[in-house]
Amino acid sequence: MSRRRLLLPLLGFLLLCLGCAAAPPKKDYTAFRAANPRSILVVPVVNNTTNVEAPGLFLSTLPIPVGERGYYVFPVNMVKRVLEDEGLSDPNLVHTADTGRLCNLFGADSVLYVSIEAWTAQYMVFSTQVTVEFDYVMKDGKTGDTIWKEHKRVVYAPQQQSGGGSPLASLVAAAVQAAVTKAAPNYMPLARQANAEVINTPGVGLPAGPRSKEYGKDPGSGK
Amino acid sequence: MAGDRLRILLLVIVAASCAAGCASKRAYLWGDYDSVLYSHYANPQDSERYLERLGQIVQKAEVEKDKVPPGLYAEYGYALFEAGRPDEAITYYKKEREEWEESRVFMDKMIRNTQRLKENRPGPAPGGELPPPAGTTPGAALAGEAK
Repeated sequence: MSRRRLLLPLLGFLLLCLGCAAAPPKKDYTAFRAANPRSILVVPVVNNTTNVEAPGLFLSTLPIPVGERGYYVFPVNMVKRVLEDEGLSDPNLVHTADTGRLCNLFGADSVLYVSIEAWTAQYMVFSTQVTVEFDYVMKDGKTGDTIWKEHKRVVYAPQQQSGGGSPLASLVAAAVQAAVTKAAPNYMPLARQANAEVINTPGVGLPAGPRSKEYGKDPGSGK
Repeated sequence: MAGDRLRILLLVIVAASCAAGCASKRAYLWGDYDSVLYSHYANPQDSERYLERLGQIVQKAEVEKDKVPPGLYAEYGYALFEAGRPDEAITYYKKEREEWEESRVFMDKMIRNTQRLKENRPGPAPGGELPPPAGTTPGAALAGEAK
C-alpha cells in the first residue's frame, strides 16, 4: 500500500513532465541570444477585433508574466500615456514606428508588440464558446530584427478541452470554466492563460531574462 | 475500474499542487496590478481609485526587500503626476531609477520634464523629448526626429 501511495503521484508527475516536454518543435534562439535583452518595452496592443475592451484588458495582463520571466518591464500604462501625449495614441502607429528609435527614447533593449487577432464569445444553445487569439513579436532595439515570436489561440467551451490536452491545460481550463459564464464572459483568465503558455513553455517561450534564476539555463537565454 | 479512478484523482491532485506551487512562487509582489490596470481602462474617470489601489500595492510590496515589481514605482509616480502631485511623482521616479538600472534613461527624462513643467507651466508634455506627433504616414512619427 505504501509503495502504491508513493508510486501514483510520481507517475502523475512524470506524465505531467511528459506533457510539457512533448511541446511543439524547438525554436531557433540564435538571434535572441545575440541580442540578449535586459529590458522589454511593452507597447500598446493592436486590436484587430471589434471588441473595444480587448486591448486595455490584454495590455493589463502582460507586465506580470514578462517581469516574472526575469526582465525589466517598463510601466505599461505610463508608457501608453506618454506615447499618447506625443500623438502616438494609435497602437498601429507605434507598431509601425522604427523599433530602434522607440528603444532609444525609452532606453529599452527590446520591444514586445502584441496584436489581438480574435476575441469573441459565441453564444450557443447550452453554452458559450470563447476564442482568444494573439500574435506576439519581440524586436531587438539595436538591429530592429525580430528575435522572438509566437502565436497563440485559446478556445474555451464547457464540455470541451482547450489547449494541448495536457493535464495542466485541462486543469487551467477547469479553473477558467468558473469564470466564463453565459451572461458575460470574463476574458481575464483566458488572457492570463494564453500569456502563461506563450511565455513560459520551454523550447518555444520567452527565454529566461537576466533577473531570473533560470537565466542561461534554458534554450535561448544567456550569452 | 476503481484503481483507474484513483489514479486519475491522484494525477489531478498532483497537477493541481504543482500549478498552485508555480503560481505562488513569484519573484515580486504584484498584488492585483493587472486587475487595477484593467479597471482603470474600463473606467478611466475613476483615477482617484486607480491612484489609491496602486499606492496600496506599492505599500505592500515595499515591506519585503527586492519584492517591488519592475515599473511599479514609476507607474505610481505617473499616477501621482496625473493627480497634480509632481513632487511626489519625482520621488517615485527616483525610486524606480535607484531600484532598476534599466529604467535610468526613461526616468531621467521624466524627472527633467516634470521639473520643467512644475517650474514653468505650461511647458512641454512630460514626455517632451519623445518623438513629435504622428505624421501623415504610419511610421513617419519617429522618423521625423533628427539623428
